[in-house]
Amino acid sequence: MRTFFTLCLLFISLCVKAQDIPEVTVKNLAGDDISTSEFKNSKDIKVISFWATWCVPCINELDAISEIYQDWQDETNVEVIAISTDDARTRRRVKPLINGKDWEFKIYVDENQDLKRALNINILPYVIIVKDGKIIHTRTGYTPGSEEELFEIVKQHTD
Amino acid sequence: MKKLTTLIIFLSFVSLGHCQLIENLRVGLEVNAAWYNDDKNTGPFFDSDNQDSDKHLRANSYLKLDYDFLKNFTATVQLESYEPLALLNYSPNFDGTNLGIYSLNYRNKKLEATVGHFYEQFGSGLILRSWEDRQLGVNNALLGGRVNYSILGELSITALYGKQRVGFKTSDGEIFGANIEYDLSKSLGFSESSISLGLSYVGRKQVIDVMNPKYNKLTNSFSGRLDYSKNSFYAGLEYVYKSEDAAVLAGQLINQFVNPGSALLINTGFSKKGFGLDATFRRLENMAFFSDREKAGNIYLENNVNFTPALTKQHDYLLTNIFVYQAQSQVVFADPQLTEVGEIGGQVDMYYNIRKDTPLGGKYGTKLAVNASYWSGLKGNYDFNNLSYDVDYLGFGEKYFSDISLEVRKKWSSKLNTIFYYVNQYYNQRAIEDNFSGEQIQTNILALESMHRLGSKGKSLRLVAQKLWSNSDNHDWIGGVVEYNFNTKFSIYANDIYNSGDDADTTETHYYNFGGSYTKGASRFSLNYGRQRAGLVCVGGVCRFVPEATGLSASFLYSF
Repeated sequence: MRTFFTLCLLFISLCVKAQDIPEVTVKNLAGDDISTSEFKNSKDIKVISFWATWCVPCINELDAISEIYQDWQDETNVEVIAISTDDARTRRRVKPLINGKDWEFKIYVDENQDLKRALNINILPYVIIVKDGKIIHTRTGYTPGSEEELFEIVKQHTD
Repeated sequence: MKKLTTLIIFLSFVSLGHCQLIENLRVGLEVNAAWYNDDKNTGPFFDSDNQDSDKHLRANSYLKLDYDFLKNFTATVQLESYEPLALLNYSPNFDGTNLGIYSLNYRNKKLEATVGHFYEQFGSGLILRSWEDRQLGVNNALLGGRVNYSILGELSITALYGKQRVGFKTSDGEIFGANIEYDLSKSLGFSESSISLGLSYVGRKQVIDVMNPKYNKLTNSFSGRLDYSKNSFYAGLEYVYKSEDAAVLAGQLINQFVNPGSALLINTGFSKKGFGLDATFRRLENMAFFSDREKAGNIYLENNVNFTPALTKQHDYLLTNIFVYQAQSQVVFADPQLTEVGEIGGQVDMYYNIRKDTPLGGKYGTKLAVNASYWSGLKGNYDFNNLSYDVDYLGFGEKYFSDISLEVRKKWSSKLNTIFYYVNQYYNQRAIEDNFSGEQIQTNILALESMHRLGSKGKSLRLVAQKLWSNSDNHDWIGGVVEYNFNTKFSIYANDIYNSGDDADTTETHYYNFGGSYTKGASRFSLNYGRQRAGLVCVGGVCRFVPEATGLSASFLYSF
């Protein structure tokens, strides 16, 4: 079994390329369906963070980005999208939390985790950077300072 | 079967051959392995689920492939391996290596159709939810077919049929479902406010093998939902009715104990910049709903048709997760003094941002979060001997749980952030755990966390100190966490909790863990050694009991 996985992995890693963002429907805070194909329609770089209200490192990351978001936007046209993967237990906390925290990000909800599953996300937080509908960078987990690395990548890809 | 599957998958890989094909392929790999050892303090290794004490090394592996082709199609397979046996506490139905999930999906702007396995949720899941959580060992995907059609973004209709996944097999019971979501705003000409309506039906059909059954093999449930929002205000209502069905007491179907069930959920909130308020009320009566009746209340969370999570704050610190509430949706008639048919209660959340450059806000502002929840049994008359009950609709009975918490997040400088966290809890162990000798435990818990940035390359230190005081002689806990991040990729940590109370299971035992992780992009490798406390493992609102274990564990995640 282990050899099998190793083989798969070796084979796949030889072929890694920028992936298209899969087409899945998420909801905005008003409950309207939003297709992820809308993320492809803009030239601007998007930083998409998958988070949950109960995930402390996720909140730490979004708080940290929130504080420097104005600087990011002054320098580039980057847009930060925070996609909540909260399920029925905690989903109702999303709206008051983002307002209470004064986050300026665009917020979507992936309640039964269709997008999370399509991207094979196992643990949170999970960040992808998307340009022209292609995923150019992914990162899992948060440690203080990771947000600066993210911005470095955004700047590198800004025309 | 095992070899065959491996061969098929491997051949399909080889035949793909070209990287162009791989471009439309998304891959996720997860391997969680453990080596359990005997523990001088807590005893030798023993796996009670599989009655095994020899297989110390275990691994759960998942390889998921999604392949997009012909513009509108996606094929998905998930190969799973539990060799030689699954990690401790997983259902013995996860056994060997096999295809766990396979599906073919077609999708255009209006129509979506799936055959094979699929995950679905109607409303908030009170009537139907199929989902996966590998940490909890939950995968109740439906195997069958589903069609969804939407018209003008206003109306969406779903119909589905399937049997639930149970390990590598499926349930005996069959599930039928239909759902309508209708956005009324446009039809009513609302522009500033939004109003939407949802209606669902879920049926579960399972053959009955008792003589003269007093219930039908088909159990019908209906749900109606209404959601409204305008500017900073929103409100929602959800009601579920479940038709008469036999109760399951201690794993036994009771033919002469037949009742309908219902659920009511009301939610409202108000939020604007810097402030958010949310309140939820919920009442559940006899809402255990399983694809196979006799599986009601099983510890592995298998065959769950609906989703009734505890509506309390999910805390994230070690000591705040010792006494965790679990929703009481099921009928329990264990003893004349221990009878339950549901729960009633609610919670309130408040978020507030104290602006920067104010006396309390300081230079960077201060963020507050407050939560309070209260849950109790349904008030009424319970007739233990005749197996009947008569409960009030809005009566609060025996108190089960309450929780008040306050979180203060403060940034002091570009180098230092702190979190102050306080929780006061009431935990009715007897009712929540159906434990005859359970106590009424009241606790006060304090956690202090600080994050220090050391230099610019992501070097940082995180410290957490925690203390739990209680009214019980059995529980007096202390705990701590140290985490050091060398950079944004490499981290190490150690934590420990210790009970100086008299609780026979945990007294004077260190539950410690230490380890490290390396992250690069979406790949992550972690290694950990430690002793796991017997208790609840909770992820996203659902908890599962796990026994004590000591060992070395390793985890590898990879996706693209």
